[in-house]
Amino acid sequence: MASAQELSDFLSSVEKRAFKQAVYAVRDEDAALDVVQDAMIKLAEKYGDRPAAELPLIFTRILQNRIHDWFRRQKVRNAWVTLFSNMGKKTDENDDFDPLESLSAPDDSQIHQDGAQKLEQSQLLQALESEIAKLPVRQREAFLMRYWDELSITETAKAMSCSEGSVKTHCSRATQTLAKALKLKGITL
Amino acid sequence: MKHFDDQFTEIQADQFGRASAALLSQSAQSLPAGIKDRLHAARMKALSAKKAEKVLAQKPVFAGISGNWNSGSNGLWDTVGWMAPLVVLVFGLIGIAQWQDDSRINDIAEVDAALLSDGVPPDAYADSGFLAFLKNGPLSDSGDSATDSVQSK
Repeated sequence: MASAQELSDFLSSVEKRAFKQAVYAVRDEDAALDVVQDAMIKLAEKYGDRPAAELPLIFTRILQNRIHDWFRRQKVRNAWVTLFSNMGKKTDENDDFDPLESLSAPDDSQIHQDGAQKLEQSQLLQALESEIAKLPVRQREAFLMRYWDELSITETAKAMSCSEGSVKTHCSRATQTLAKALKLKGITL
Repeated sequence: MKHFDDQFTEIQADQFGRASAALLSQSAQSLPAGIKDRLHAARMKALSAKKAEKVLAQKPVFAGISGNWNSGSNGLWDTVGWMAPLVVLVFGLIGIAQWQDDSRINDIAEVDAALLSDGVPPDAYADSGFLAFLKNGPLSDSGDSATDSVQSK
């Protein structure tokens, strides 16, 4: 049974990674934070008494489920928004609204901090993250669980509720896609 | 032309994956302070949720096992709470059954006493002629006595 300290250490070790994974999926920092918080609370409430060794797999599974739930809620919300926006189309007075005004510039202040090396690494990361975000959902999940969460093929298959063969296929396709995309940008890892 | 897939072996894929993961880990460590603070707050909230759950879950477990009155009082009163109505119900049903038996015995005893204290022997009530006499006799007797009293006047 994991003690409060073990649970705290575990959450501390995975929270940043979980946040990044959620950001790749939902592409919104606030939503990603909500997803991670929900996953952490669920883990603590429902599975806090499990052995510490079981926590990584359980947390990964909860996180993926929370991300899927978020997409389901978004789908429902978008359906209602579309419905109401179509109803109020004639009386819409915001025709001069420019979406470019609401876009914020990417925070690249760190790029210029430590010279060329930092710049190169930051660009490399940006390229990698952008390509990971473009991957199909299942490929991205398999790739991140397998290599970033360091789960075995069996554990990944369990967390994704699919066969080990599917995990291998997803991982293989994801790495090939990423390597190919980065190569086109002149990047090799 | 050789396909890209063919050039990318499983070992190379693993190497690429690990290199990517190392880079991603670096990026995760350099999150903005605001995000780190919010993640810390979320972690604290989750840990407090665990503690609340633990306290609630431990109470009934220890109450049942220990013989200590203080720690076991909740369990004992819970047991009494659902046992008492059951006991009252069982004793109530037994009492009602007993009372019905007694009243039936008393009824039978009253009938028996009436039969035995009567001047007519009990076997007479089994005779159909006597029953017919009981049915018609008293009426005809009262009618005759009435006519007799009129004639004497």
